[in-house]
Amino acid sequence: MAPGLLWLGLFFILPNIQMVVMSLSSGTLRQGFELTWEFGNYTDAIGRFPDNFRNSVVYGGLATFLCVLVGYPLAYGIAFRGGRYKTFLLFLVVAPFFTSFLIRVISWRIILGDQGIFLAVVRDTIGVVPANFSVIGTPLAVVSGLTYQFLPFMVLPLYVSLEKIDGRLIEAARDLYAGPSGRRGTIGGALAGGLVGAALMLGLGYASLDADGIGGLVGATVAGALGGAVVATIFISESFLRIVLPLSLPGVFAGSILVFIPAIGDFVNAEILGSPKTQMVGNVIQNRFLQQNDYPTAASLSFVLMAAILVAIFVYARLLGTDELTGGRAA
Amino acid sequence: MDTNEPTPPRLIGRRTMLKGSALAGFGAFLAACSGGATKTATPSSVVSSQPPASTAASPSVEPSASAVGEQVPTGPLKFANWDAYIDVEDDGVTSPTLVEFEAEYDVKVEYANAQIEDNESFMATIRPQLETGVETGWDLIVLTDWMAAKVVEAAWVEEIDPANVATAVANVRDELRGLPWDPDMKYHFPWQSGATGLGYNSKSTKRELTKIADLFDPAFKGKVTLLTEARDTFPLVHLALQAQGKASANKAGAMDAADAQVVHDFLKPLVDGDHIRAFTGNEYLKDFGSGDTWAALVWSGDLASSAGDNDVFAYPEEGSMIWTDNMLIPKGAKNKYTAELMIDWVYDVDRAARLANWVYYLSPVKGVSEAITKLDPEAGANPLLFPPAEVVAKQHPQPNWDEATEKTVNELFADLTGV
Repeated sequence: MAPGLLWLGLFFILPNIQMVVMSLSSGTLRQGFELTWEFGNYTDAIGRFPDNFRNSVVYGGLATFLCVLVGYPLAYGIAFRGGRYKTFLLFLVVAPFFTSFLIRVISWRIILGDQGIFLAVVRDTIGVVPANFSVIGTPLAVVSGLTYQFLPFMVLPLYVSLEKIDGRLIEAARDLYAGPSGRRGTIGGALAGGLVGAALMLGLGYASLDADGIGGLVGATVAGALGGAVVATIFISESFLRIVLPLSLPGVFAGSILVFIPAIGDFVNAEILGSPKTQMVGNVIQNRFLQQNDYPTAASLSFVLMAAILVAIFVYARLLGTDELTGGRAA
Repeated sequence: MDTNEPTPPRLIGRRTMLKGSALAGFGAFLAACSGGATKTATPSSVVSSQPPASTAASPSVEPSASAVGEQVPTGPLKFANWDAYIDVEDDGVTSPTLVEFEAEYDVKVEYANAQIEDNESFMATIRPQLETGVETGWDLIVLTDWMAAKVVEAAWVEEIDPANVATAVANVRDELRGLPWDPDMKYHFPWQSGATGLGYNSKSTKRELTKIADLFDPAFKGKVTLLTEARDTFPLVHLALQAQGKASANKAGAMDAADAQVVHDFLKPLVDGDHIRAFTGNEYLKDFGSGDTWAALVWSGDLASSAGDNDVFAYPEEGSMIWTDNMLIPKGAKNKYTAELMIDWVYDVDRAARLANWVYYLSPVKGVSEAITKLDPEAGANPLLFPPAEVVAKQHPQPNWDEATEKTVNELFADLTGV
């Protein structure tokens, strides 16, 4: 215990105390900062950057959500269908991490660029988007970047929790007449798919609740619902819903936290893939620390962000159960 | 100056190729290459081209290191610079200037290209060390006037020993001497000067751009970037608004907080309406390359030296900014003497000509114009190296804001950049 506490004291508590002091200080870089119990820094931090906070929460949330959506089938496939290639497939998931973070972001900038391969397909070949459609500089680019960067943090814990599910439980379920998900599955899939479609359109700013944007919203919801219904009908079975999904929730929970925390505080993706309108809180903190030398505001913003993350995790833990965070029951 | 040998013929090829006068350039390139073999066969002439090395500045490279008091170059020299700011060969990495320096002094140079993307963010990476008196890890850095002035004022730089930079002292252009922040050049020597103006890809824009106001043509929506340097972006837009009678008569170099507010209010809707996609540093080179940017505010030499055939620089009709980037030795630098040797090295006229003729910026070295024309007769007509009188008449120094104004401007700029 003691070495652990020492470690926490040195590397967690001490820097944080330093930052608390800074967040309550005033002054300039040239004259030095002085602790003046400037609580105004906090009201300032919350009040002045509502757009950046909104962007952080929305993009971080969407990225986490998309990581589940992409990562779950991936982890499932590796765990149940990977066979003797499991290790190799997991290696492939982690392989991009052998290059630097920055290089990966910049390569997405090229892929999503106006002359990049993504638009070459959807704009020039398929033609589903207009000629002046851009991805770089939009929320879509930032969320795509975040999703890509943090996907392995979702896949690995998901894989671990899926891999240890006892296959005999699924066999037993089948013996007890667990079949396709049936009509309830189709309806559930349609509801989930519709929500996904609507959330993506709203979160990425392609639709809104006013007269102009409502059409896109309805379209995306309908498309999502159709897709969800089809996927649920074909791929989702009763044994999955009753056995696999509940037993894999600890993985979903752990993965979501591992993705959400870095994603919400990230600034590199918004900086490189975004525009002035898609800047996140991380960008403001970076700007205040490094460009404007306004350390107090930066420090107080950091604490507000930390508090917001803690609240979000607390709510999330209550919804999914804290046992599963510590692995108590699942183990 | 007994020899012009060190000039690698290849650079003519490179420059001309880039200028897009493809055919003539290619001929020159071939001719140059064929001549190259014989010249490079006599590397000794390169070494002997050491500047008027007569001074005490250059001790013998022979390891007579034991001699007390004699300075010996140490390395590796850590040199942080901006992108597209040094001569390189066709492989894009080997710099003749640096390679020859390494051979001359038997010391390694670790040149960090594009380490500096803008003044503020680079300073942020070394400010904490400077404040606490720790070595920054750099021996030589390059900062624009206004930032260099701040760093000198804060005493975060080593004093340059004039005995070690005799060539530089002799060759620096007169108009760059006696600046208020370092009148006797005790702490800095200019690297290059340049202008900030208009850059565009003529193939994408499908027309010639001549004015800053052209950046705001609705046809270019989403394809325009401005600079992260507030001291470039604000005054240039101020000039554009002035030309339309929408801004005060204050000179661009003397614009105040109220003028900045006017510029902000003009730009804000363009940012919100997605006309301006981003504020960048040297990264605009990548964006021109990928086609994501069609038109932008850019620094004068970059597009010509490092971008594609259709990427053009123009001095805007409304006027342009003029600035100088300066070499400084940060406090506590490990290889101060080697850094001084490097400063002196690039002040050799022939080397400076080669460098300037590659980067397309204005050299701070006296006599370089003649050396460039000798090296590349076509260069005489190049407005980047030889700005015409009517351009010079409309050039403005970057504003020198006091602390309060700077704070206001920074806040306005942060609002524009979305942070």
